Amino acid sequence: MTTTDLSARDITKHYDGTAVVDQVSLKLQPGKITALLGGSGAGKSTLLRLFAGLETPDAGEIWMGDTCLSTTKRSVAPEKRRIGLIFQDFALFPHMTASENVRFGLNKMAKGDAELAAADWLDRLNLTGRAKAYPHELSGGEQQRVAIARALAPQPLAILMDEPFSGLDPALRDSVRDIAIRAIKDANIPALLVTHDAAEALGTADDIAIMKGGKILQNGPSESVYMTPNSVDVASALGAANSIAATDLPASLTADLKTDGAQLVIRPEGVLIDKTAVTAATVQARHLIGPVVRLSLQVGDQYLSAFAPRANAPSVGDQVRIRLDPEMVFIFASDAI
Amino acid sequence: MTARALLARPRFRLANLPALLAALFIGAPVMVVLIAGLFWGGGDHWVHIQETLLKGYIGGTLGTLALTGTLILAIGVPAAWLVTMYRFPGRGLFEWLLILPLAAPGYVFAYAFADLLGIAGPVQTLLRDTTGLSARDYWFPEIHSLPGLAFVLAATLYPYVYLTARAAFTSQSICALEAARSLGASPARSFWKVALPAARATIIAGLALALMEAAADYGAAEHLGVPTLTFGVVRAWDSFGSPSVAARLALVLLTIVLALTLLERANRGRKGSQQSSTRWRVSTRATLSPRRAALATLFCTAIFTVCFVLPVGRLIWLSVETRETIAPLGDAFRNTIILAGSGACLAFGLALIIALSMNGKGPLARLARLAAASGYAIPGAVLALGGLVLLKLFGWQLAGLSAIAMLAWVYASRFTAAGAEPMRAALSRAPRSMGHAARSLGASPLRKAKQVDLPIAMSGAAAGALILFVEALKELPATLMLRPFNWDTLSVRAYAYASDERLAAAAMPSLLITLAGLVPVLLLSRQLARARPGQFKAPLP
Repeated sequence: MTTTDLSARDITKHYDGTAVVDQVSLKLQPGKITALLGGSGAGKSTLLRLFAGLETPDAGEIWMGDTCLSTTKRSVAPEKRRIGLIFQDFALFPHMTASENVRFGLNKMAKGDAELAAADWLDRLNLTGRAKAYPHELSGGEQQRVAIARALAPQPLAILMDEPFSGLDPALRDSVRDIAIRAIKDANIPALLVTHDAAEALGTADDIAIMKGGKILQNGPSESVYMTPNSVDVASALGAANSIAATDLPASLTADLKTDGAQLVIRPEGVLIDKTAVTAATVQARHLIGPVVRLSLQVGDQYLSAFAPRANAPSVGDQVRIRLDPEMVFIFASDAI
Repeated sequence: MTARALLARPRFRLANLPALLAALFIGAPVMVVLIAGLFWGGGDHWVHIQETLLKGYIGGTLGTLALTGTLILAIGVPAAWLVTMYRFPGRGLFEWLLILPLAAPGYVFAYAFADLLGIAGPVQTLLRDTTGLSARDYWFPEIHSLPGLAFVLAATLYPYVYLTARAAFTSQSICALEAARSLGASPARSFWKVALPAARATIIAGLALALMEAAADYGAAEHLGVPTLTFGVVRAWDSFGSPSVAARLALVLLTIVLALTLLERANRGRKGSQQSSTRWRVSTRATLSPRRAALATLFCTAIFTVCFVLPVGRLIWLSVETRETIAPLGDAFRNTIILAGSGACLAFGLALIIALSMNGKGPLARLARLAAASGYAIPGAVLALGGLVLLKLFGWQLAGLSAIAMLAWVYASRFTAAGAEPMRAALSRAPRSMGHAARSLGASPLRKAKQVDLPIAMSGAAAGALILFVEALKELPATLMLRPFNWDTLSVRAYAYASDERLAAAAMPSLLITLAGLVPVLLLSRQLARARPGQFKAPLP
């Protein structure tokens, strides 16, 4: 099967006079997962619905390769687009078994073939033996895997996921996600993952697009967006960060930075404890957060978050010396706040 | 014995004893009928009825139920689907207008339609005037027939299914429908394969309620001359003066009602009908093409016109035309207030007890809930029969206070469940943790009930009391059988006039009953409008 990209071109959608999606252009590449990351009200789900054809744009177009799917005047119906959808609340048909759910989109196949295909998909998502269960008899993780099998079984040209893992138990989330990502990658189609979880976006997607107030602030390969954010918003969206004015820090700490801007965003991993450094700080709090310890360090009258390996992390009240890793400090003009 | 078990015992008793007593009180009339039907001999009258009338009664009831049910589904489900899923002119108005027919009891519509569609009525007169035909020259559907009765009952009872179907469609995760479309299903296939099956259990539950009402109808069947079991029960008492024969007929009727309940239960099955959805997502309603939107408006207009405007309009016309003054209804008005009022008071107290015990655990609490809920399924004629047998057992006369008390008892037995519902709903809105908080602060179960549960339940009390009063006011067969001598209520007066073919005179009391019925219906529609989940234009981001 040939695969092609799915793209939004200058697309806009209003609700009650407010632009929920505002002149957005975004290209989803086949075989790549693009995470659409943003807070509540950023317009993520609306953009997804525009791709799916569940909404019609007020301006702009949606294209699948060289086929136009949506313009302001006409829109290919959702059922004609061959774009799979996966929802946060699974949206399984409650009156159908797992296998019947998966077969729903295979109605053009002969019955026997559809049954075999459904069984195969259920196997691939580790649901062997659950084919005859109804949704309410399945666990949350199983339900979402059925939903994923159902969306992928008809061999869609693209797949759109709206917060697909956030309804799941944290313990289950990683395993369901891994299974899902593998199945989606195998399909070699464009995939959009709407999420508000930066760790999920970074840990899952090839590309990341950061959305706020209906606009895409930045998009590109995950690592490049993480390492070269173009604004305070983007830098903060991708994980915990110290956002601080350069003048509020001691000159000794910022001496090595090319501070051509006044606003700093410093990732906690960019605050390094180094005996040879000049600047002194006091440990005010210390929390083990898994593989590392998160420290709250007082520098003058400012506080900075830092990470340290547990084994040699300082204790509360200790005096330490710190410096900043220039790679993990992002500098912006002060009006960018 | 564990500490837990020690604690559980007094809680069990305290919480459930009032509910158990209430349940016994509610269940007594039907119990008496069951015992009478099973163990009293039927005598010659029974043999006579068995040989001549029983088949007709059973056939009449089953036929009416089947046809009424079909009509109700054909009206209620499409109307609910259109109003929930699409935008068309008048949609917002129809959303609540289509509930209004629920205000009128079946017998009121029977009088109105019999007058409208009868040979001397305006429809046939107009037909003859415009075509120049005489009454013998054409065929016209006969309203005094089983299909006529089914039509009349469906016209007033379809809102049960309309309401439950609407609730089911609204609460369905819109995601499921969107998923169906993303999987290539057309809107029509999405409806038949996804929306309808998922709503089936809820729709059937609404249908079961409507059919129980239809089975309980006496006035419409009597007026339209269709022999049904409820008609037979009243007739057996009225004409033969035989409680044992009436009780036997009641037993057959109860079997049918029980079968309806069991069918409804069985229908739930293993398939889930509750959407697995964790968040509401009602998107903007789809816009229809101008032609389809016009058809949708036409469909809803036709339903509302036929099932409300025409019959109610005819009653208004008759009242105005004949100028039957309200003065002679003064007594009936007073009697109605006293009888329905005392019934409502008694039922209110019972409803409060039942509602407060809703969270109670254990077999006794379950029994109480079951008794209260089943009362609503038992036809008023059967309960009245139980009341009459009880009066006889106590050696009381069907007169004065004892008759009023017995009628109040029967009203309470039938309607407590309906009155308990708004209170239960009010309680269920309060989180369970509230009760746990009260307990953790040292409140005894009794104090928790008094200071936490009762004030919350009372927020649903006004609606509950209103529903009880109006239901009692509309009730006909029990009132007819149990009212004290010369104590005509509005419903009895309407019935008596209609029986004498004085339809014009029956119009005013019928209209008053319908007006009273409108109050709780409007209250309900307002509540539904407010409770509608996901009422926003934009989808959740």
